[in-house]
This record gives sequence, C-alpha cells and structure tokens, in this order.
Amino acid sequence: MFLNMKLLSHHGLNGFGGMGEGMSMQLARDGRRILWLAHESAPKNFTAVDVSDPRAPKVVVQTDLPHAQMRSNSLEVAGDLMAVAYQVTKFGLKPAGFELFDVSKPEAPRSISFFDASGPHSRGCHQLWFVDGKTVHMACADPEQKPRNPKDDQVYRIVDVSTPTKPRAVGRWHLPGTMEGDDAPPPERLPGKFDAGFRAHNTNVYPQRPDRCYLGYIDGGIMVIDISDQSRPKLVSRWTNSPPYNGFNHTVLPLFERGLIVVSDESVKDNAGDWPKLVWILDGRDERHLVSIGTLPMPPVDAFKARGGRYGAHNLHENPPVPGAWKSENVVLGTFFNGGVRAYDISDPYSPREIAYFVPEAPEGSKIGAVQINDVFVDDRGIVFTVDRHNGGLYALEMKV
Amino acid sequence: MIPDGRTPVFVVTGFLGSGKTTLVNELVKKLGETLVIVNEFGEVPVDHHLLQVAEERAVALPNGCLCCHLRGDLEETLIGAAMRRRRGEIAGFDRVIVETSGLADPGPVAQTLYADRALERDFKLGPIVTVVDASEAGNRNLGLSIAKSQIAAADVVVLSKTDLSHDASGIEDEIRELNAHARRVRARFGDVDPALLEKSGTDPVFSSVAHHDHGFHSFVLEFDRPPRKDLLERFLALLVELRGADLLRVKGIVALADGEHVAVQGVRHVFDRLRPIANRPASGLVFITQNMAKHDVVALWQAMSSLEGSA
Repeated sequence: MFLNMKLLSHHGLNGFGGMGEGMSMQLARDGRRILWLAHESAPKNFTAVDVSDPRAPKVVVQTDLPHAQMRSNSLEVAGDLMAVAYQVTKFGLKPAGFELFDVSKPEAPRSISFFDASGPHSRGCHQLWFVDGKTVHMACADPEQKPRNPKDDQVYRIVDVSTPTKPRAVGRWHLPGTMEGDDAPPPERLPGKFDAGFRAHNTNVYPQRPDRCYLGYIDGGIMVIDISDQSRPKLVSRWTNSPPYNGFNHTVLPLFERGLIVVSDESVKDNAGDWPKLVWILDGRDERHLVSIGTLPMPPVDAFKARGGRYGAHNLHENPPVPGAWKSENVVLGTFFNGGVRAYDISDPYSPREIAYFVPEAPEGSKIGAVQINDVFVDDRGIVFTVDRHNGGLYALEMKV
Repeated sequence: MIPDGRTPVFVVTGFLGSGKTTLVNELVKKLGETLVIVNEFGEVPVDHHLLQVAEERAVALPNGCLCCHLRGDLEETLIGAAMRRRRGEIAGFDRVIVETSGLADPGPVAQTLYADRALERDFKLGPIVTVVDASEAGNRNLGLSIAKSQIAAADVVVLSKTDLSHDASGIEDEIRELNAHARRVRARFGDVDPALLEKSGTDPVFSSVAHHDHGFHSFVLEFDRPPRKDLLERFLALLVELRGADLLRVKGIVALADGEHVAVQGVRHVFDRLRPIANRPASGLVFITQNMAKHDVVALWQAMSSLEGSA
C-alpha cells in the first residue's frame, strides 16, 4: 500500500530484521552515511548500515548481546559517540543501563564505558536521547529507588558523559507517588488490561530549549520538565489523555517555531485491542497550559485491526538536532505497526492531512502475516528509513510531497 | 513549501478514433501505478477492451457521456477509489487517467474536481490532454463545436498518427488558432514523454500566450495593481454568473494586494478556490473564451475596480 512514497530498497539485515526504536544517522568522517539501528530483541545488539546510496544499503557491522535475557531497543549517535540502551527481562539482571561506543570506525565499534543502572528493582534502560555528545537523557531505573509498583521502575534520568569514559549521574525525576517514600499518594492506575505503568519513555531535549525535557510518561501522560538545574528537574506542566483513553503516551515532539507539541501514543495490544492509539496535536504556546487541538487522521480501524499484530500509533520522526537529520515543523511522520509509516501535513494544525504513506507487504517468514512498522528516521536528503519490529528489517523510501 | 499530497487526475479527451486509448495505454506502460477510468459511449465498450491495464486498476463507467449525467458516477468512482486505497483494499496509485468518450467536453470533469470538496481532499486536476488525429483532415472534425471545445480546454494537444501524416503543420496551425496556450506534442503510437504532460498539468500558467479565431478568444487580463482578494473573487463570481458557459478555461497566477500570490483556475461555471502559491511570478489571467472578447472582460474588471477604488 502506498501514497506518495516509493520503496527504494529493502534489507533484511542478514536474517535479523526485528528492529527496535533506535535509529540514528552518523555522517562518517569518510563521507559515508551510516544508519545505526537497535534491535528489538536478542540475539543481536545493533546493526550499522551504510545508506550512502539508499538504493543499495550495505550492512557494515552487526553485533551480539551478551545474553538473551536483555535487549538494546534504543540507541543514539552524536558525532563519533554512540550510546546504546540495555534493558533486561527480569529485575536484578545485568547488564542494565547503557554502553558508550566510539564509532569513528563504523566497522569496528569500540566500547568506551558502561553506565550501570542494575539493581533488585531495575530492568535498566528502555530508551535514551543523546544528541549533544555530552548528556544522555533516558528512561531508566534508578537503583537507589524502589517503585511502589514494579511497572513504574523507569524514571527520567540525566547522565553527564562529557568525559565519555566516566559517565556520571546528575539528575532524575519521577512522577510523585510512584516511589517508596514519596509524600504523594500512588497514582490511580488504569483498568487492569490497560495498566502499562507510570514510567518514563521518550526524553527529548532540544537546543532551542536546553532547559526543557519533553517527557512521555506512558500511563502518566506527558510532561514538560524544567531542567535548567539538571540536578533538580522540576515539573512545569503535565497533559494526560487517560482515562478515558488507554494510556501509553510515548513520544513528545515540540515544534518550537509553531508553538505546537506532537504526542504519540503506543499501541501495545494486537488486533487494536487498545484502540484508539493516536497521534495528538497540542497547542503548546503556553507551556503551562497544554491544549489538545486535534489528532492525525488514521485509516479506519476496522480495515486494519484484523490484518495481524498491532495497529495504532507508535514512534515519530523526532527532528533530532543532529547533522544529517531532516527537520520539519509542517510535516510529521509516524509509524503505525501494520498501518505502516505515514506522513501528515500539519501546516493547519486544526485540520491535519495525510499526504503520504507506505505499508510494506508482510515480511517473509512473518508469523503474524503482517508488517509491524516500528520506528522512522528521515535524513536531510528526504529519504525515509523505517523498520519492522519482528523480522522485516530496514526499508528505504522516497517521499514525493 | 506546503506539501500537496493529492493525486493528480489526467483527463484524456479527443474525438472518436483520434487515438486516445493508444495514448492511455502508452502512458500506463511508462508511468505504472495508474488508475484508469474509462468513459464508454455506445452499446459496445470497445475502448475499454483495448485498454491493457491490470483489471483492478481499470474502471469503466456505464454508458453515457461524462459531460452530462455521469459526473456523479465519476465522483463516486474517485471517492470510492480513494476510500479503497485508504482501507488498503487496493495497493495504491500515483495518478488517475480519465479517458472521456469522444463526444465529451472535458470541462465538466475539471469542474467536478474543482467543485467537489470531498474529492478535493484526495485529488487535483492534472493535465487536460486532447488527442487530435493528424493524419486526415476529415477525421479531425474541427468543424464540430465539441471537438473545438476539447482543443480549447487542453493543456496539451497530442497530435496522433503523425506517422500517417505527410505534413502536420496545417493541423498545428488550426490548433494554434483555437488554443495557442496549449503545448503541442507530436506522437506516433501514443509515444509521448509523460513528464511533459505532468508538468503541463501542474503548472498554473499556460506555456505561451496568443490570440484566437473561429469565435474562440484567448487573451490575458493584466492587473495594473495587485487586486484585493475579495474583489478578485467577486469579479470571477460575477463573470461566471453572467457568462460562465463561455469561459472555456481560465488560469494564471495573480499577485494580491496583501502580497500573497494565488493560482486561479476555472472551467466554465466552476472555479477552484484561490490557492496560495509560493515562489512564482504573477502571470495575469489567461482566458480562453467563446463568443466573448477581451474588451468585455477588461471592461467588467475596470468597472469593478474603479468603483471599489472610489468607495
């Protein structure tokens, strides 16, 4: 299925095509464009793909995890440094945290350091943001804290990596009421079948507002966090849609020139069992009073829910403030599992329009009979890279808008 | 640049036997990913059977002429195609080609796309392509008003069967007299450059400007100073009210008083809304009319603008 997007190439990543939500482009010193990808689950850790010619991508390196009870899922590259998240399947396992690599030679990533976040109440790091080469902002457990509910383990953490060999924790924030010892009462949880947790997911910080973190907090909504003092992050505002919606707020994308904030939910149940999972547009002109003004139009749920796997929103192209990345305040791209990757014109935020999409065929060997498009990255040539969650690997697309 | 994202609708018209189906087949072969809508006329749908496109990408409208009662069917077909594409029931298409019957005036197809707000969300008018048989003067039927209307409304005139014609310059002169603004392309067996057609259809100005004959007029309305948007809209509305039937085609880029540039497009009684357009110089408004001369249009504009100015 397509509209104004054309497949340039598809790479199965050597039979390990189950990809997470870490996609980051390195403009290598030798002129190559290297796309670094985190795998969704073991046995692979990350894969680097030379996409200088998007019609002929080439795997340059693919690495293994130390064991199968963990996954990377998320990574970011800043210059020649790469941070890779490590999340474990059970509390207490190691390695849990993130690892820093020197990727100046993409074929031979060299480990520089490891930030340990393991502990009896920790599953480590699920997602991280690393764009300035100095600071990792992440959704990660803090071993010094014990969550009242084990689903609430990952908080917002700030780690100084300006000395890459010695990562240093500098700050943290969690929703009051979720940790032992908090004065605030525990938050009211969503109904059992939708109770995914009150914990951090995406932790975006942009140079336009280095004193703000735009935080997705799963069932807790989203937050704007004042990080002007990184050792003491403070809540500026919070916006929630659940209840009555079904939780799992994921990505918070500020569009600074337009005073807008785009928020994605994540669908986490097959057959649209947690529908509706949407992408929301907020009026963010006054950061203390966020107002929902619309959602991005999606194809009818009845036409997609039974195609196999999940259908609903997930990741956005996040305008990462790094060389090689495409930035737009008028066009938003998102991934929708079996609904593929979709682009929207939000120049009129009250009336967003779908302008392009691509839904690959079910990947070869798919157990669910459908693609599960998981994440998207657009480079400054306008090439759209997107990945499948289960086994489809990497798709390079040309967007004609 | 604000992205568009709408799918262009090519309109291929031309008199009976002019070579429309050959052209459509060639375009589909070269362009791929095309939805073809064929308008049949007569008891035997010959043209449809000649089309070699894949079955799921070809839609035949029932008997009748698109310019009359079939506009509703066309709307329904296009909306249905967009809905099926959105639901993933068909793979997708990059463009639509509507092949009209030989007896159709292409204007109403354009009007349908301008006037229908539901269609406007997914589709936009692409090039109006009129196929003219260059091989034999008798086949061209230029004496018939419907054939003239087809040429007058065209963005591109494709001269077909040039392999059978010793000298096509005569027919080119005839076409130029009817519509000097249209691009003229010679083709053997429908072999044309699709990029040329696509560009002509998306360009809000004609490729050249000239005059008229045979009761047809073509001229440019220039504006002494950038008009106010509301005055321009009222002028076009009044013109349509008075003489819409004679406005075969109007198109151009106008610089407005507030600094915005807008594309103006109209066919007979129906105009597209004024759409902002960036980075394009003003062109004035090109009119192709029948039974209405330049001075009539200029007089109306001058009267409205002077009254507005003295208010």
